[in-house]
Amino acid sequence: MRLLFQLLKSFMIIGIGAYGGGLVTIPLIQHEIVGTRGWLLFDEMASLLAIAQMTPGPIAVNAATFVGFRVAGSAGAAVATFGGVLPALSILFFGAPLIDRVKTNRHAAMFREGLQVGVLSLLFYAAWAYGSAAVGSLTQFFVAAGAFLTLVFLEGKIHPIFVVLACGILGVFIF
Amino acid sequence: MTAERTTSLSEAEERITFLQIFWTYFKIGLFTLGGGFAMAAILRHELVLKRGWISDYEFMSEMSTATLIPGAVAVNMAYLQGRRLRGKRGAFTASLGVILPSFLIILLIALFALPYFQNPHVKAFLKGCSLAIAGQIAYAAFVFGRKYLNTLHNIIICVLGLVLLLVFKVHPVFAVVSAGVLGYFLCRHREKRAE
Repeated sequence: MRLLFQLLKSFMIIGIGAYGGGLVTIPLIQHEIVGTRGWLLFDEMASLLAIAQMTPGPIAVNAATFVGFRVAGSAGAAVATFGGVLPALSILFFGAPLIDRVKTNRHAAMFREGLQVGVLSLLFYAAWAYGSAAVGSLTQFFVAAGAFLTLVFLEGKIHPIFVVLACGILGVFIF
Repeated sequence: MTAERTTSLSEAEERITFLQIFWTYFKIGLFTLGGGFAMAAILRHELVLKRGWISDYEFMSEMSTATLIPGAVAVNMAYLQGRRLRGKRGAFTASLGVILPSFLIILLIALFALPYFQNPHVKAFLKGCSLAIAGQIAYAAFVFGRKYLNTLHNIIICVLGLVLLLVFKVHPVFAVVSAGVLGYFLCRHREKRAE
């Protein structure tokens, strides 16, 4: 019960910080679940996130369900998913009429730009924190760098999921 | 004009049932790979072009609200559009519809596939995938960086955010929110000086 409560709290924190969802949740999950709580090892988390990425649906929801399950079974999956969407749904439930009014407001635009730059520093941080934990050898570095360069040079021409799948298949042969 | 709009809205409300809303979002949750913005394109196709439930202008306006709120963009969009179609109950129906497929699919994978994760081939496959995700995060940083690091004050906020995260090791959520606050004050300062 205590574990479920902590899981709910962790995923609510993740849900508050995940501006734009998706990739931004990765450093937050790493910080909360691997770092602060120590519920999973980095490699276990990375495997779950890889699956979350490849299955349909929002990545943030998939990741919450999977990590929750791995930490505390089916109940954990339900609690983590609920916790992950709770902050957004509460803000929308109580604040939607207000948000509609301030959205076009000058002050909101200034705050939003700051937030987006904050997300950018989080992405730089994630590239370092996740990257340094994931890459364990020179070969692995080349795979990650290859994925990065492929995405940069084929921008918009290739869906990121194909790059993830291709690296997975490559992994079967070289690891 | 106002009266016309009210009737067309109430007709629309009669036409769209909760089951229709649920099923529409359930399908989108079930078949869309890649979350957020990939989902937005399909949502637009389904709601604006195919069903005509909402106008393109309303869609874009809700899209911009959805990105102002934290959390999965797809869930936020579902809430806002569901709310437009059938009020608060519509909002929760749509949100549940878009979340449920993810939850069920992952639950099935977790129940039946988790034991195979220890298999060396599966492990190697997942290792390759997680390296690609490292590349994908770096790519996202590259794309966002190109877009936002164009003014001195954005560069200052970004560097300060990184110092908070790497040197002071603050909680990432705190770093993002304080960047928002700092961005707000720097913007205001700049506007005041311009006046």
